[in-house]
Amino acid sequence: MDFAGKRLWFFLISLAIIIPGIVFLITTPGLKTGIDFTGGSTMNLSFSEDMKQATLRQELTKLGYPEATIQKLDDNSYFIRTIELSEDKKNTIINGIQNNFPQQNIEVLSFDLVSPIVANETIINAFWAVLAASFFVFIYILWAFRNVPNTRRYSFAAIVALLHDTIIILGIFSILGELMNIEVNTFFLFAIVTVIGYSINDTIVIFDRLRENIQIYPNDKFSNIVNISIRESLGRSLNTSITLLITLMALLLFGGSTIQTFLLVLLFGVIIGTYSSIGVASQVLVSWQERDFKKIFRRN
Amino acid sequence: MRRHYKQLILIGIIILLSGLTLGFQKIKVGNFERGSDTILGLSLGLELQGGSHLVYQALDPDTKDPFVADDNSKEMDSLKKSIERRIAAAGLGEPIIQIIGDNRLLIQMPGVKDPERAKSIIGETAQLEFKHRKLNVAQNIVGLSDNIATNIYAAESPEDDAGVTTTGDEQKPGSLYIELTPEDAEVFSNVLSRMVDDFSKFAGQQTILQNPSTIEMSIQGNSALKYNIFAIQIIRKENSNEFIFPLPPDPMNQTNYSIEETNNIIGENGKVYFSEVIGSLDEDIGLTGDDLATSYPGTHANSQQPIVNLVFKERGTAIFAELTQRIAGSPTDQIAIILDDKELLSPVVQSEILSGTTIIEGNFTLQEVKDISLLLESGRLPLPIELLRERNVDAILGADSLQKSLIAGIIGLGLVILFMVLYYRIPGLIAGVALVIYTSIVLSILKISPGNLTTLNLSGVAALILSIGMAVDANILIFERMKEELSQGRTVLSSINIGFNRAWPAIRDGNVSTLITCGVLFWFSQQLGETILQGFAVTLAIGVAISMFSAIVVSCTFLRILANTSFGKKSFLYIPTK
Repeated sequence: MDFAGKRLWFFLISLAIIIPGIVFLITTPGLKTGIDFTGGSTMNLSFSEDMKQATLRQELTKLGYPEATIQKLDDNSYFIRTIELSEDKKNTIINGIQNNFPQQNIEVLSFDLVSPIVANETIINAFWAVLAASFFVFIYILWAFRNVPNTRRYSFAAIVALLHDTIIILGIFSILGELMNIEVNTFFLFAIVTVIGYSINDTIVIFDRLRENIQIYPNDKFSNIVNISIRESLGRSLNTSITLLITLMALLLFGGSTIQTFLLVLLFGVIIGTYSSIGVASQVLVSWQERDFKKIFRRN
Repeated sequence: MRRHYKQLILIGIIILLSGLTLGFQKIKVGNFERGSDTILGLSLGLELQGGSHLVYQALDPDTKDPFVADDNSKEMDSLKKSIERRIAAAGLGEPIIQIIGDNRLLIQMPGVKDPERAKSIIGETAQLEFKHRKLNVAQNIVGLSDNIATNIYAAESPEDDAGVTTTGDEQKPGSLYIELTPEDAEVFSNVLSRMVDDFSKFAGQQTILQNPSTIEMSIQGNSALKYNIFAIQIIRKENSNEFIFPLPPDPMNQTNYSIEETNNIIGENGKVYFSEVIGSLDEDIGLTGDDLATSYPGTHANSQQPIVNLVFKERGTAIFAELTQRIAGSPTDQIAIILDDKELLSPVVQSEILSGTTIIEGNFTLQEVKDISLLLESGRLPLPIELLRERNVDAILGADSLQKSLIAGIIGLGLVILFMVLYYRIPGLIAGVALVIYTSIVLSILKISPGNLTTLNLSGVAALILSIGMAVDANILIFERMKEELSQGRTVLSSINIGFNRAWPAIRDGNVSTLITCGVLFWFSQQLGETILQGFAVTLAIGVAISMFSAIVVSCTFLRILANTSFGKKSFLYIPTK
């Protein structure tokens, strides 16, 4: 299969996913941010008897929290997000509900509070974390591929793939936020950095083949060598993705609900990371070699 | 076989060690102690066993801005120790307290049953104050005119009198009926209802009930008709400005007059004066925990009763001396000791104390004086703190997460092994065995690692399961290379050797890049004080490192040994199905 020859298609497919994602990301509300980024409180309340979501909404409105978001978790437990709650305010809510429903046995299964100060720092730190991860990976690839001609291209291509993956995930979660109310939190950022690590790992495996094949076939066309390398590492790429997807699916289906966003990012990340090492990182190298971009400019 | 005995022994020892580590719930070798009562003796974090995770910001005592530490300031350390003592003194177990950055404190209490109590023990204002408490302070009622009664007379108490009733032959004292102007009646009504509210609010709190506020009334400026009365005993007649006051029957009060006698004293145009007597009023004297040098439990030299010793610093000694001189011997003055806005003790002063060294006596048990001393000592938090981040997880939710993670882990591992065996046959089976060994090695490393970074949380479980997926990657890389060599007609053994050598650079580079991201994640979570996420980075890094060992040493050795047996001749067992 001629992967390099279809590089235009790969780029088009990527753009087709990236553009709607970016549209959702830029147009309000974009990513639905959780309390980690905005500050506030969340709690997981469980009721011993039937409790309707509408009733709970009424209660919270009566208690002065009409803007609270309420999500049903399972039968009689709810996830409630409000502004930052002090201990007193939290107790007022619980006792207020309890007073109106004396037969209920209400339990606070979990309670989270994030002050807006911390939320701000999280955003700044996240920015640096993604930047630092990209930078160090760039440096490492420069070093690992120092004996290959045009080393910088490999680093550059890996970073393009990495940004490609990050932007797609941000876009997907902007859309999911809109459709399924999925909020992003610190775990989400962690998952993104993990995906970056995985995507780079996958890219390196193909580049490693390239490094080897350039020496084996010194006179072959570069796009051919890329094709051979992708073909040779395809089995590994697919199988590793499959094993990772198996473990992630097991966690998603049988694990608790607390880290579901985290797992979803990884799930998408593994698929996109595998795709981008073949369809983006390798093809950027070919495009560079073939001077695709210069051709486009010359045509104009 | 003989050529691989070194590796086999190494693998055997490692399997044995990790088996032993995980097999025993608790491990103790000399000072080295690990393990717990949980599954495999792993230390489980807050998400898996419930508990509380709190991040506090230390504040500057004066400006209330974030505290700025000098190079060698000890405040953060002593803040940490104070909170440690507070929690330990309350019997809430051993918290894990870390200083994050310059001015933040992370407090973790895995397994704590009552996170709200823990929070109140830690406190926020972090202040210990000594106040001068004056008991029974009379003060005028604002808004009442001077001569407010339009009509006063004594008469029989009404039937539904909420006031005092007497029994037996004792003469019924009756009640006073006092009519006020409409304006005054409103003011007085408001004061009464406020006092009744206060009364019911504090009902049940002994310290306050001992000294509830009262209305002091005197009639005609006559000391004979001057007495204190609870607000709750005063009734306003419906739709009128008349109030009914029970006359006190108590012979201890000198006003035990009959109704006629009372009416005689009042006369034609009786005047009435009201004031509110506040049960206790705290006066700030500027004496705080900072002025306390130390506090320790002891026993009284004469009575052998448990006592609390207090020693003030220089400034405190001066303030304390001035106060005790003023109020020594007075039964209506106390020193209220208030910790985080809650009264701890309120002793009276027996004699003036000029030395700054004093004792508090009372009917204390030994445990009580220990607790009080500890609270006084640790009450001197060097810096006020403010809650930034809180995460509480109920034990039930924790247990549920643990069970689900276990099931997910076992299913995930099982499916991966199944896939490997179906696809790669013999090498897949060996990779499966290597994976199980890998998992037990990682778990035992997590178990014996010091500190709370390897405490297993949900994210740690995710990292663990993710690293299983990655561990398999090294195997897949090797097997894919082997497959190529085999299809070129090499023998099984040489395919294995060449496959391993060819796959190595990719394994190395890939894992190093994962380690780099782990390092970045570690730094990131450290900035945020998110130890739970730090655990993810550490667990993933351990997993990646061990996965290289598992693929290169364990899988490789087993494959080579098998290749030397009759299995080595049947190369179809090594070629994956397509």
